[in-house]
Amino acid sequence: MTVIETRSEAPPAVVARGLTKVYGTGDARVHALRGVDVAFATGDFTAIMGPSGSGKSTLMHCLAGLDTVTSGSVRVGDVELTGLSDKQLTRLRRDRIGFIFQAFNLLPTLTAEQNIRLPLEIAGRQADEVLFERVVQTVGLKDRLRHKPAELSGGQQQRVAVARALISKPQVIFADEPTGNLDSRSGAEVLSFLRTSVRELGQTIVMVTHDPMAASYANRVIFLRDGALVTELHQPTPQSVLDTLVKLEASAC
Amino acid sequence: MLKTTLAGLRAHKLRLLLTSLAITLGVGFIAGTFVLTDTMQAGFSQKVTAEADKIAVAVTPKDPEATLSRKDLEKVRAVPGVREAQGLVRAAVPLLGKDGKAVGSSPTTGVNVLTGELGRVTVTSGTAPAADGEAVLDENTAKAQGLKVGDTITVLDKDGGRHRLKLVGLIDPGVDQELAYTGAVGFTTATALRLSGAPGFAEIDVAGADPAALKAALARALGSQATVRTGEELAAALARQAGVDTEFLTMGLLLFGLVAMLVAALVIYNTFNILVAQRTKEMALLRCIGAGRGQVFGSVLLESAVVGLISSAAGLAVGYGLGALALAVLGALDTPLPTDAAASLSMRTIVLGLAIGLVVTVAAAVLPARAATRVAPVAALRTQVEEQTFRTGVLRAVFAALFVAAGLGVTAWGVTMRPGERTSLLTVMAGGALTFLAVLILGPVLVKPLSAAVGWVPRRLFGVPGRLAVDNSGRNPRRAATTTVALTVGVTLMTLISVLTASARASLDARLDKQFPVDYMLMTQSRESAIPRSVAEGLRARPEFASVVQIREAEARSGERTVIAGTYHGPVKPALKAGSLSQLGPGTVVLSGFQAKELGVRVGQSVPLTTKKAGTVSLRVVAVVDEQSSELPPVTLAEDAFDRYFGKVPDAQVFVKIKDGVPEDRARELVDAAAQPYPTVQVSSSTEVRGEFDEALDMMFKIITGLLGLAILISLLGIANTLSLSVHERTRESALLRALGLTRPQLRGMLSVEALVLGLIGALVGVVLGLAYGWAALQTLMAQTAFEVPLLQIALFVAMSGLAGVLAAVLPARRAARASIVGALAAS
Repeated sequence: MTVIETRSEAPPAVVARGLTKVYGTGDARVHALRGVDVAFATGDFTAIMGPSGSGKSTLMHCLAGLDTVTSGSVRVGDVELTGLSDKQLTRLRRDRIGFIFQAFNLLPTLTAEQNIRLPLEIAGRQADEVLFERVVQTVGLKDRLRHKPAELSGGQQQRVAVARALISKPQVIFADEPTGNLDSRSGAEVLSFLRTSVRELGQTIVMVTHDPMAASYANRVIFLRDGALVTELHQPTPQSVLDTLVKLEASAC
Repeated sequence: MLKTTLAGLRAHKLRLLLTSLAITLGVGFIAGTFVLTDTMQAGFSQKVTAEADKIAVAVTPKDPEATLSRKDLEKVRAVPGVREAQGLVRAAVPLLGKDGKAVGSSPTTGVNVLTGELGRVTVTSGTAPAADGEAVLDENTAKAQGLKVGDTITVLDKDGGRHRLKLVGLIDPGVDQELAYTGAVGFTTATALRLSGAPGFAEIDVAGADPAALKAALARALGSQATVRTGEELAAALARQAGVDTEFLTMGLLLFGLVAMLVAALVIYNTFNILVAQRTKEMALLRCIGAGRGQVFGSVLLESAVVGLISSAAGLAVGYGLGALALAVLGALDTPLPTDAAASLSMRTIVLGLAIGLVVTVAAAVLPARAATRVAPVAALRTQVEEQTFRTGVLRAVFAALFVAAGLGVTAWGVTMRPGERTSLLTVMAGGALTFLAVLILGPVLVKPLSAAVGWVPRRLFGVPGRLAVDNSGRNPRRAATTTVALTVGVTLMTLISVLTASARASLDARLDKQFPVDYMLMTQSRESAIPRSVAEGLRARPEFASVVQIREAEARSGERTVIAGTYHGPVKPALKAGSLSQLGPGTVVLSGFQAKELGVRVGQSVPLTTKKAGTVSLRVVAVVDEQSSELPPVTLAEDAFDRYFGKVPDAQVFVKIKDGVPEDRARELVDAAAQPYPTVQVSSSTEVRGEFDEALDMMFKIITGLLGLAILISLLGIANTLSLSVHERTRESALLRALGLTRPQLRGMLSVEALVLGLIGALVGVVLGLAYGWAALQTLMAQTAFEVPLLQIALFVAMSGLAGVLAAVLPARRAARASIVGALAAS
C-alpha cells in the first residue's frame, strides 16, 4: 500500500526531547519522568510498557497535551506543545489527537454514532462519510449505531471509542490501556482493529499497556523504568516483551 | 454512628453550605418579620405609655362621633382630687398652601397644644402656641409645604373664613396615625375651639393623685355618656389598637416567609436525595460492617437535624439584621411608626425560628433518609455507578391523575361559585394547592418533554455544548423536577400577582370609562356639599364645556337607617337595573342597587324618607341604578323635591366634560380658575384618578414581587446546588470532553445552557400555573372582570428566570472548567 511506502520518509508524528515531569515540592518531590527522549514515526504503532509507577501514563499525558511538562519539549507534527495556552492545547487535541481510554470513553447520553461523530462536531468539521462508513464497517458497529453506551458490551464500547478516535483522522492516537477492562477475546478484537488502522489507514498510534499480549500487536515497544527510557523492541512477540519485562523487574531489585 | 455522621458532615460541608443558606434565608425572613413587628410594637407601647403616664385619668365620649361639652369639663374640674383638667380639641382646620388651596386630600386636623402637667404633645422646635395669633405645625407638613418657624400660615375656619397666624413651633404627632395622615395644626385651646367650630372636646385629660379613686369619682359625676379610664388603661388600649395593626403586618409578611420555607424545603429535599445517592457506597459499606437500617436512617436524619439547627441559628442572626435594616429604612422614610426603639430578638422569635428551621429540614430529609435504608449491602462491592434511570411508575401515574382531577375539580367548583365571596376564593386556592401537588408528582414525567421543547433554541444555537446541555438537563428527571419546581413556586405567584394587578387595572380603566365619562371632577376636601352652585353655573355658561352635572347630597333617615339623599342637575345616563329615570318627579325616588337591597324594596314599592324641612314623606321607587357605573347618590330625588325637603344645599360634586376640539390646557385653566376662590374645592381629572390607581397598583405589585424575590433567590440556591452536584458526578465525563477538544469556555457554556434550560422549565410551568390561577382567582373576586395578561411582564419573568439560572451556574461551571483533565480521568 502506498501509505506504508511513504511512512519512512515522513517526519515523526510526535517527538519528545529531555522530557522531565516533577510532582510535588520539597520532601514530597517525585520525579515521574527524568529526561525522556523519544520519537514516534508517522504510521507506526508503538506500545509504551513498564512496571507500575514507571511513568508510562505520565509520559502519554505529557505527549498528548493533557498534562504540562516540568522541562523539555514535545512536538506533535510541527507544533511545539510546551508554552501553549490551555486554549491552544485544546485546539491541538481537538484537531490532531485522538484518544482511547481504559474506561469511561463514551458520553452516556449520546448514541454510538453521536459518540463517534463527537470530536468532529466539537471542531465544527464535516465527517468524511466514506471514512465513516469504512470505519464503522471495520469495527463491526453497523447495527449498533443507534444504541446508547449502556446498551453496548464493554468490547463494543471500546470499538466505538476506536471508531471515534479514527474518524477525525488525527495525527496521532493515544490509547491508555484500551483493553484493560476487556476479556481477552474482545481485547484481541480491539487490538486488531488498531493494527488494521495503522496498516490500512496509515494511522499513528501510541498505546500505553502493561499486557505483553497487547504490546505484541505494536510494531515497536519502548520500556520505561523510574521515569526513564531503558530499552525498546521492534516487531515484538508476546514472549520477547515478557522476557524484556522480566529482565527489567529483575534489574530493578 | 454519631461520629460517622459528624465526619460525613465535615466532609460535605461545602455541599451543605448551599442548603444551609436556603434555610438560613427562610428562617431569617421569618425571624426578621418578628424582630420588626416586635420592635414596632414595643415602640408603640413605649410611646403611648410615656404619653399616658402624664395623665391620671382620661375621659372620652362613649359615642366616638360625639364630643364632651364645656359643661362636662367644668363637672370634671369640680370633682374633688382633680388637680388639673383640660379638654382636647380635634377637628378639621384646613391649612392653605402657598397656592391658596387647602393642603392634602383631606383637611388638616386642628388640635390644641397643652403645656404644663398635661402637655402630651412634644414640641420639637420653637415654642407651643401661647396666644391667639400663634400656631404650630407637625414637622412633616411643615417640611412638605416649605414652612419654617417664624413664617405666617393661613387656615380656614369652619365657615371658610381665612385666618393668618404666626408659626411659632413644630410638633411631633407621635404614633397617632390619623394626625400623621392628615397633618396637624396646633393652637391654644380657645383658638382651636373658635376656628374648628368644634362643639366640644374629643377627650378630657385629668391630673390628680389617686387614679383609681379619681376614675370612680369621675364616672359617678359624668354618668353613662362618658368612658372613664386611668392613664394606664388608656395606654393599654392604645397599645392594643397598635398591636392589631402590627399583627396585620406580621401575618402578611409571614405568608411570604412560609412560601420561602416551602421552597427551602424543596431545596433541602433535593440536596439530601443527591447526598444519599452519592454516598450509596458509603451507606452500603456501613451496612456491610453491620449497621442496621434504623441506624442508617437515623444517621441521615441526624445530619439534617444538625444542618437545620446550625442554619436556623444563622437565620436568627440574619433575621435580626433584616429587622434592624427594615427599621432603619422605615425610620429614614419618615413613616409615622416608632422606629427608634432598639431591635430586639425575643425568646418567642428564637424558639419559633429554631423550631421552624429544624422541623422543615428534618421533614424534608425523611424521604431521602428512607431511600438510604434501601441501599443493599452488596452495592458496596459494585464498581459501576449506575446511571439513575426513571420510569413512570403505576403508583405515580395513579396519584398524579388523582391530584390533577382533584385540583381541577375543586378549582372549577370554586370558579363557578358566586363571585365576591370568601369561600369561592378559598376553594380556588385549595384547588391551586392540589394542582401544585399534582405538578410536584408529575414533575419528573414533564421534565423530558419540557427540556426538549425549551431546549429547541439552545440546541440549535450553541452547537455541540448546547445539545449536550439540553440532554443533560433531562438526564435525571427526578432531580431536575424538584430543582425546577422550587423556582416554579416563585414564578407562579409572581405571574398570579401580575395577572391580578393587570386585570384590576384593565377593569378599573373600563369602569372609569363608563362611570367617569367626564374630564374633570370638582369636590371639596371634606366631601361635603360645600361648592357654591355659582361655580357650576359659571362653568355651564362657558362655550368650552359640553356638559356640567351637579350632584347635591344631604343626610336623611329612612326608618331606622341613616341614608344619603341627593339630587342632580344636568345630563346623566346611569346604567339602570330596573325601571326608568324619566318618571323621577314629585313623590318618586331612584335608588342605587345597594340601597334598594338594604332597604328591601323594588321598583313600584314605596320607601319612607325623613327630611329636614318636610318631615317624613313616602316615595315610590321608579328606578334602581347600578352603583358601579353611576355617580348618582344612593337615594336620588328630583331637583325641586330635594330643594323642598332640604333647602338650597350647595353642590357636593360637579362633573365637567370638555367640548370636542377644546384644548385640554385651556379647559383645565378655566376649571381651576372657577375653583380658585374656594380653597377647599379640589379639581381632579380622570387622567389623575387613573394615575393614582396605577400608582397604587404599581406600588403593591412592586412590594409583593420584592417579597417573592426571596423565594426565587432560595430556588436559585437549589439550582446552583443541583448543578454543582451534577458537575461532581460528571467529573470524568467533563474530562473526556475536554480531552476530545472541548475548550474551557465551551464547557462552562454547556453548564450555563443546562442551567438556562432548568430555569426556563421552572419559569414556564410557573407561568402556566400563574395564568390559570390568576384567571380562576379573578372569577372568584368579581363578576365581569377583564382578564388581562401582561405579556411583557411575563416575558420578563421568564427571561429573568433563565438569566438567574445562568447566574446560578457560574460557580459550578467555573469549578468544572478548572478541573485538571488528568486528575479527573484518574479519579474513578
